[in-house]
Amino acid sequence: MSESVRPGFLRRGGWLLLALPLWFLVYHFLEPFANALTTRLFGLDLNGHLGSAVAFFFYDSPKVVMLLALVVLGVTFMQTFITPEHTRDVLAKRAGAWGNLLAAIFGIFTPFCSCSAIPLFIGFVRVGVPLGVTFSYLVSAPMVNEVALFMLLAMFGWKIALIYAGTGVAIAFIAGWVIGKLKMEHHLEPWVMEITFNAQAVTAAAEQRTGFSERLELGVQGVKDIVGKVWPYLLAGIGVGAFIHGFVPAEFMARFMGSGHWWSVPLAVLIGVPLYSNAAGVIPIVQALLGKGAALGTTLAFMMAVIGLSLPETIILRKVLKPRLIAVFVSVVAIGIVLVGYLFNFIM
Amino acid sequence: MLIEVFGPGCAKCQVMEKHAKEAVEKSGGGHQVVKITDYTAMASRGILSTPALALDGQIKVQGRVASSDEILTLIQG
Repeated sequence: MSESVRPGFLRRGGWLLLALPLWFLVYHFLEPFANALTTRLFGLDLNGHLGSAVAFFFYDSPKVVMLLALVVLGVTFMQTFITPEHTRDVLAKRAGAWGNLLAAIFGIFTPFCSCSAIPLFIGFVRVGVPLGVTFSYLVSAPMVNEVALFMLLAMFGWKIALIYAGTGVAIAFIAGWVIGKLKMEHHLEPWVMEITFNAQAVTAAAEQRTGFSERLELGVQGVKDIVGKVWPYLLAGIGVGAFIHGFVPAEFMARFMGSGHWWSVPLAVLIGVPLYSNAAGVIPIVQALLGKGAALGTTLAFMMAVIGLSLPETIILRKVLKPRLIAVFVSVVAIGIVLVGYLFNFIM
Repeated sequence: MLIEVFGPGCAKCQVMEKHAKEAVEKSGGGHQVVKITDYTAMASRGILSTPALALDGQIKVQGRVASSDEILTLIQG
């Protein structure tokens, strides 16, 4: 009897067993396919400027989209286990440096959308998460983007992925710790602490979805949402990447973004802050910059500034923070990113 | 039943509102959908991530978009 009411094997997630091998098969043939398309259909020379840019575009577009889909599926699935509510309840009990570190690490994995920044901020502060710990989370959550992390892992290997996550967590840890030490609680807008607050409602509404297929379904929904939303950023990013790849002479970037110039890191951060892109859109640009001799530290600083410090988020946060606290927040994070850039230019 | 959709106006929040209205239509009506965009109201209800959905004051969904079918099940359940 129970057989007939249960959804079929395929609908309960079995389709993954078919889809995954197919994914790897298609992924494997992307490069020869892109090259063939460029040479046969367009009649371009792969060694020419235009030819190599076109081949880069045709190879990278499906590659990045496919990687993104796989990464988002995995990450969204994982995130059904770690919600902001769990994070808040864990952090509410921690004080001091340990709390900052934990908040920074949690920030890697929790989903974060700048439109949630305010309710999240208030929810954290009002249940007693220290201001500095809240900031560690608020810095880490957008900067160490879980999708960017796994994209870097897939495209550049574990070392660069680890450097990205490690330095992001370090910046978030230190920034939150500094803000905590500065004791800036009175630089919150007064209404934050004055409004009536009821945390009970959320705790009671802890979501009941626990089954594998429900979590997987949320993952698929996440893929549709995110890929559907970021593809224009992706194509723009890949377009810029393809141009750099095909037309910018090798080692040209070394002149501006090489490790020999002290000003290249702060400049990269200054350019990166007003640029606002989805994390996935930056990856192809990073790939092309590194390929043309840009230093790792400078490139990393650029990427972190684009993803981690966004103008819209700062404007939203102004509703709860007084200008001075905003200024401290932005400058501590920017200084952290610059230091990371110098550090890696120095090491590499 | 009072259906509240919480969201400051980002794309996801608009989708959630649309789904809530579709669910009400499928259920045959009689429910009221209210969109709440005020941060103060959201925060005081203890909402941490948007979009969120509450039925008769009880928060049911948070931090993601629920499909209209899921909202329908919640209304009927």
